Amino acid sequence: MRSALLSLAFALLPVSALAEEPTVTEARRAQLESLRAQVAGQIQLQAYDLLDELVFSWLEQPVFALDTPVVLADVSVPVGFGSGLQALIENHFAALVVKNPRTRVLLAHCPQCTSVVVHSGAKGTIISRGVDEPEALSTAGALSGSRHALFLDFEVEGAALVLRARITALEPALPIVYAKTLSTSTSSAALLRTADRLKSATEARQEYLDALQGRSLYLVPVRIGVRSYAAGSGQSIAIPPFLWLQVGAEAPLTQARAWTGSLSLGVSWMPQLHVGWMVQGRISRLLSGSVTSLTRPDLYGFVGGSVLSIHGLSALVFQDQVLDLRDVTSQLLGVDPQALFGAVQLGLELRIKNRMGASVFVESLPSMNNAPSIGRYVDLGPLQLHSLGVEVSFCF
Amino acid sequence: MELLLLILLMPLPVFGVRANDPIAGPWQTKEEARNLECTRLGQSRAHELHPDQVPAPPPRGASGVTDALSCTQRFMRYGERPDRDEVILSSLSQTVGEITQVASALGSGELTWHVDAFYPGPAVAAKISVTARTQLAERGLKVSDRVPVLAAGDIAVLGRMPPSKAYPLACARYFAQGVLEERDAFLGLMIVDARETQLHAGLCMRGEWRWLR
Repeated sequence: MRSALLSLAFALLPVSALAEEPTVTEARRAQLESLRAQVAGQIQLQAYDLLDELVFSWLEQPVFALDTPVVLADVSVPVGFGSGLQALIENHFAALVVKNPRTRVLLAHCPQCTSVVVHSGAKGTIISRGVDEPEALSTAGALSGSRHALFLDFEVEGAALVLRARITALEPALPIVYAKTLSTSTSSAALLRTADRLKSATEARQEYLDALQGRSLYLVPVRIGVRSYAAGSGQSIAIPPFLWLQVGAEAPLTQARAWTGSLSLGVSWMPQLHVGWMVQGRISRLLSGSVTSLTRPDLYGFVGGSVLSIHGLSALVFQDQVLDLRDVTSQLLGVDPQALFGAVQLGLELRIKNRMGASVFVESLPSMNNAPSIGRYVDLGPLQLHSLGVEVSFCF
Repeated sequence: MELLLLILLMPLPVFGVRANDPIAGPWQTKEEARNLECTRLGQSRAHELHPDQVPAPPPRGASGVTDALSCTQRFMRYGERPDRDEVILSSLSQTVGEITQVASALGSGELTWHVDAFYPGPAVAAKISVTARTQLAERGLKVSDRVPVLAAGDIAVLGRMPPSKAYPLACARYFAQGVLEERDAFLGLMIVDARETQLHAGLCMRGEWRWLR
């Protein structure tokens, strides 16, 4: 019984293998189609780019002196590609010509031009496309006023896509009145220009670079930050955090923005507690690479120095001595306490495209080493970190 | 154990560096590498084309690497089109450019140029002739889109002859039948043997055929 079952299984094996073959073939075909679609997507963008360049050249140097009807006689796509790509190219070209009347090319509708026509004459009967036999079209009155035919031919040559455009006069000799070959640059991405504001490849690329690199060399950063100070030893009351708004100017110290410097003015206000002013200078160094990235956030490390002036009750915190009778008397007389001190900053900033940033920093207040109300987050002997802060910045 | 782990981890930086290398290796197969087309570019040009990957050249110059190898996949990979078509089409501009350069130098005077290509695949034949016409027109020559044709009887006879005799005879027939005249030049591009991948060309002027390549 067992041997009979085994024999049956062996007999059925080739049949089952045959049954699976169409499935495998279908899967391979689907995979091939998917790959081909990806390639077609790339070719489509490159083809659009070449068409943009062609129409832009017509804007710069029109082929015709006056508005001239032209029949789009043929669009041929690279060998191996189908009519889908052809339709996309035709549509894009028509959109370009319609949106750019300064090319002096008017697209004319001539279905007979691209159809097969049969013409019998003294030399015999000729079967051809309409555009190849203009006498036949002329006799049939099918030219619709257009006397020129445009041919667009795309071909893939290795990694480059080549466009060959030619305009033929629809007269018996079929002379070519215009011809141009355009090729994609090796491995450069399509520029994706808008159809209604065509510009040269150089201008389009420069715009692209400008958009990536930021608006200009000089920036106006607006920073909103919070500083919190460590409470002094034995102090039961925590020091409220100080909110600062800073506005300044930032300039690159090197071309690639690897080093930048900034100077800013800041203000802090808390009702009934204080009004504060600050002048701050910073030097930042790019840590995440040698040049700013065009596609990823950049990490900067910075050191800075600032001078702060606090007026109001909060200034009492920044006294480097215990409150005495003179301080209390001044307060009773309505004289606002004030504090003027310097700070040294060290921090990290994560910046996105020179437009937004977030930073975290520590500050040392050298003149506050003996202040009873100010404590230390970290005490490294000569370097004591009294303050922690975070900031968000927007650059204009 | 630690030593073994260290030995295993040592090649990692090398593999990391080779991730962007266009040669075949752990990151890409030989077939993928074969389908890459690479060009060496100066740093400024490479930065212009790939600003996100190549930094701008430093203003004071650089002592290190100053160029980049830019690689891109071929649009049509090897094997997607018939091999002969692929070879012909991949170098179409260059090959036809060489032919039209020689032809335009030989064709003196005010000539009207006609072009036709003789290739087994009509789609590829059309590409060859379009390339030649466009290039001749770009050289400032007077080019016609009209293709000279012979009568069916002529073609039947020519089809039975070897190419070395058929093309000169066809040229003579063009002239004898008045399809081509004194001021016409006909440039024919063809493959002579179905197994070859090199384009040949001949020029027909005043009924005389001359092989260019």
